Amino acid sequence: MTDGDLDATDPRTLPGFFDALADGELLGGVCADCGQVLLPPRPACYACGSRAVDVEPQSRKGDVFSYTAVHTPPPAFAADAPYTVAVVELADGGRLLGRVAADYADVAIGDPVELTVHEPTAAEREVALDYETDWPVHVFEPR
Amino acid sequence: MPEPVIASVGASPLGRTDLPGRDLFSVALAEAFDELPDPADLVEAVYVGNQSESYEHQIMYGTLLAEWAGLRHVPAERVEGCAAAGALALRHAVKDVRNGEHEAVLACGVEKMTSAGTSGATDALSAAFDRAIEQRSGITAPSQYALLAKRYLHETDATEHDLAEIAVKNHANAARNPRAQFPKEIDVATVLESDPIAPPLKLFDCAPVGDGAAAVLVTTAELAADLDRPQVRVAGSGASANNIAVAERDMTDIAGARIAAETAYEEAGIDAAAVDIAEVHDAFTVCEALLAEAVGFAPAGTGYQSYQTPAERADGWTDVQLSPSGGLKARGHPIGATGLLQALEAYEQLTGAAGDRAVEGAETALLLNEGGVADAVTVGHVLTTAEAR
Repeated sequence: MTDGDLDATDPRTLPGFFDALADGELLGGVCADCGQVLLPPRPACYACGSRAVDVEPQSRKGDVFSYTAVHTPPPAFAADAPYTVAVVELADGGRLLGRVAADYADVAIGDPVELTVHEPTAAEREVALDYETDWPVHVFEPR
Repeated sequence: MPEPVIASVGASPLGRTDLPGRDLFSVALAEAFDELPDPADLVEAVYVGNQSESYEHQIMYGTLLAEWAGLRHVPAERVEGCAAAGALALRHAVKDVRNGEHEAVLACGVEKMTSAGTSGATDALSAAFDRAIEQRSGITAPSQYALLAKRYLHETDATEHDLAEIAVKNHANAARNPRAQFPKEIDVATVLESDPIAPPLKLFDCAPVGDGAAAVLVTTAELAADLDRPQVRVAGSGASANNIAVAERDMTDIAGARIAAETAYEEAGIDAAAVDIAEVHDAFTVCEALLAEAVGFAPAGTGYQSYQTPAERADGWTDVQLSPSGGLKARGHPIGATGLLQALEAYEQLTGAAGDRAVEGAETALLLNEGGVADAVTVGHVLTTAEAR
């Protein structure tokens, strides 16, 4: 097994992934052996076990695969509730969970959405761990 | 290879209690050892299923409960796997006995969930989900399962009414279970009109927050006979992890549960059709539907018929009775104790101690305990009567 020397600039680590996301680039791992898309990128493919994982930009466009609304939030997000959350299937094949900037009643399975990114708000920074403070937050916008 | 058996069980009251975790355990242990020598004269190792230190600011639960049982200088450890912690503890005990490491092992579980109210429990449970993407998006346990439910209702003929019927069935079972947190019947309208939690799931689709502890003694058939205890064989044990993020999994084919159950069936030398009763992880109503399919009781897309009688269900369903205890939904779901409460129910059913809720002729049980959302980790056990050998 060889992984080279992973450090925080490598997009197969979370700091590396979020640095790229802050610049608007959604990076995925793509398994060189079986093609599985891994979001976020990581050193190994869960589908086949291969450690030959390439890092490639992913389309930010996708469709709602499933969704709900959170009426009983964790204390950190109490002020936001109810808020809509979805699993989105992206155009390049990966799936990612995130908030949706729409009311639950206005969303349906199959709806087209696009991933957007914002700097963490003051409230989001407050509930972040030290090393997460500057990580961007993604939200899916209907398109 | 010694064959592990369960030789005794005990539980604390379930729900909102005035006892901290270690005291709940003492109550469960007292019941389990009521007709046995003291734990210090019998128990060689201790495993404790426990979800979170955030309820009591207490880790080291292996050490603590071993001491409270009167044991010192034995191997003892806390086992963590969110709501599957209890069955993981049972599995460790089973393996220790099976491989000859120990002759008598205490598998127990405890959770003091009511210490910080519903929001405290919501927060503690959210730690079970991927931190980087899913927690930071504000996901909760009910909303994770709601994503599965939304998809399940989209892909199958199941309706919210069917999910409500599962809750009604499990409450009816709990009404005959003196251990249940909610031993009362409800109707479909109560479920459908209850508060939205994470649509399509409503309050009465969700297992409750509650305190509880359970203790299970795993030993050899020979020692159980020497102790003159009714015994239930642990004929099979399987476990499987799956992705931490729900988004990356198949959200309606619960593969980890299928693998855990099939491993347990294979060890026991049975197939799904041989299972008479099953305690599955119905933390939310949709789970019972999904798991009935995953473990081979129901053809794909028909698991939601779990509330129906065997004669009413689709072709291809087995005759299994699900959640005779009332399930997590109504028996209760004190996270780290749940897997052992499932074992307790099967022990009572298979030893003729289930009273009014006894399933006639039951000889083989499947226990299916999950942690995280759905099959992030799953543990399956097959239990059989001593006679089914």
